[in-house]
Amino acid sequence: MDRALRKRLETRFGEQLTGPVRQRHDQTEIRIRPADVPEVMRALHDDPELAFEILVDLAGVDTGTHMQVVYHLWSATTPDWLRVIADGMPRDDPRAPSLTGLWPGAEWMERETYDMFGIIFEGNRDLRRIYMPPDYTSFPLRKDFYLADDSARSPGGGVRHMEQTQAPSQATPSVVRRTVKA
Amino acid sequence: MTASTTPHQHPSADDPRILLDDQIGQFETVPPYPPRTEREAEFYSLGDGEMFLNMGPQHPSTHGVLRVVLKINGESVVDLDPVLGYLHRGVEKLCENSDFHHIISQVDPLEYVSSLFCEWSPVMAFEKLLDVQVPRRAEYIRVLTGELNRIASHALFQGWMALDLGGLTPILYSFIERDEIVDMLAAVTGQKLLFNYFRIGGVNGDLNHEFMSRLGDWMSRATAQHEANTQLLNENEIFVRRMRGIGVLDRDTAFRMAVTGPNLRASGVPYDVRRAHPYSVYPELEFDIPTRGHGRGGDSLDRYLLRVDEVKQSLRIIDQCLHNMPDGPIMAKLPRLLRPRPGRAWAAIEGPRGLYGTYAISDGTDQPFRMKIHDPSFVHLQLVGQLMKGNLIADTMAVMASLDPVMGGVDK
Repeated sequence: MDRALRKRLETRFGEQLTGPVRQRHDQTEIRIRPADVPEVMRALHDDPELAFEILVDLAGVDTGTHMQVVYHLWSATTPDWLRVIADGMPRDDPRAPSLTGLWPGAEWMERETYDMFGIIFEGNRDLRRIYMPPDYTSFPLRKDFYLADDSARSPGGGVRHMEQTQAPSQATPSVVRRTVKA
Repeated sequence: MTASTTPHQHPSADDPRILLDDQIGQFETVPPYPPRTEREAEFYSLGDGEMFLNMGPQHPSTHGVLRVVLKINGESVVDLDPVLGYLHRGVEKLCENSDFHHIISQVDPLEYVSSLFCEWSPVMAFEKLLDVQVPRRAEYIRVLTGELNRIASHALFQGWMALDLGGLTPILYSFIERDEIVDMLAAVTGQKLLFNYFRIGGVNGDLNHEFMSRLGDWMSRATAQHEANTQLLNENEIFVRRMRGIGVLDRDTAFRMAVTGPNLRASGVPYDVRRAHPYSVYPELEFDIPTRGHGRGGDSLDRYLLRVDEVKQSLRIIDQCLHNMPDGPIMAKLPRLLRPRPGRAWAAIEGPRGLYGTYAISDGTDQPFRMKIHDPSFVHLQLVGQLMKGNLIADTMAVMASLDPVMGGVDK
């Protein structure tokens, strides 16, 4: 745990943090609003005291009540991994700004997250499905999507629609049975 | 008796309609639906003198089931669009529905040429969730078997690389080297491909006599054998001339494209998770981080030679592991049913292709609530489009092979 990093993050981002900076093992975690992602990421990348050069990972999370986008970053200035959680997106219309302006390599990671969760990354110019076929209509890693042995409760009840669904609000509604406070 | 005409009747094998009716494996190059994004619209509109060429998904040198739509002008590639998903099995969803021990076997087939590394990062993430201290002997065994697996993977890479450039012989030697290592690992793990060896809190079995005797035998000639294998290629003029200056990846682009591992080091950045964010017992071991392509950016040849350098460092690490191997238990004491407290954990390791990472969220049950697997091949494959512009069709596979993606990991 890098206490100095915590202090730097608190002074640099003060108002933009929506929760306390958390630290556990070798990870430091901050929470921000989705709208602040480009600004915070730009600062983390450009500020010589932070200098988070490497975007290690981009993950979507469906907590069952809302959606998150989770970024992991690496910097030579700290021994910790930095986790940035863009928190509190509504499940029926999750939208986050794209990071492709800063890291063009985020393009496919965002495509994957869109494909699996339906999170729309505004500004990504190639946001189409990457794993699932183009006529697929649901978002498999969402918590209202159940595996085949539970398919009676899965969206569409096993029926595949041929129209293209671009947003979760247009997909077949269903039930969430598992939630987490994350 | 006359032949039945019911629709359930299976046609005879010499019926020509079998071949005509069977559409499996045929693809329309241009999608039969309107473009969904700006980029798709731009790609699927042809300029003057341009045409599409569909490569894959069953192309012999796509390293798995990958389809690439090339936009070509004459023989040079203008742009390309990789189409993924043929090996997608939703491993993250499967992991969210399996208990923590079961996940190790779920993630094994991701990167099937180096499956120990696919196990390593989830296992490390779960150990962080559970606050488990792994015994030192288990850590040494993990490093030892992991580095062996890295050599096996890089050996296969050398052969594949040559095969994609049309050289048939090197892959035979690669497989000889890989088979020796894989037999060794089979002696300790019980399997030759999907090892399923690491456990949360340790490893599955202790080193045994057969493994040690095979390893000792192999170590005595590994360096010489490796030299011989690489000389077959490194001094081959055709090989070198087809790789030098092709697919140049400069330092800035590599950072912006989120590249990690050998591909980043071949562009002159000494970033290796084993040193940049030490884990396991790597801080106790001596090894160098080879880099190439300083100042000018790394081409295909740099990426190839860097992996050759890495094998030498792995041999050094193995040697030190054998000399420093401590005694003790190989498993931490843990209950059979694991229920970590709610929380989040991220663990990353340096695999033969780059950074493997796992982000796990626990909700207090015996299954992770969310498990994200970061695979370096997936990130590296999106570089192909950038590196290929202006090059020849024949070099597509060479550039792709130099990035060393494995489709099992790309498609997850």
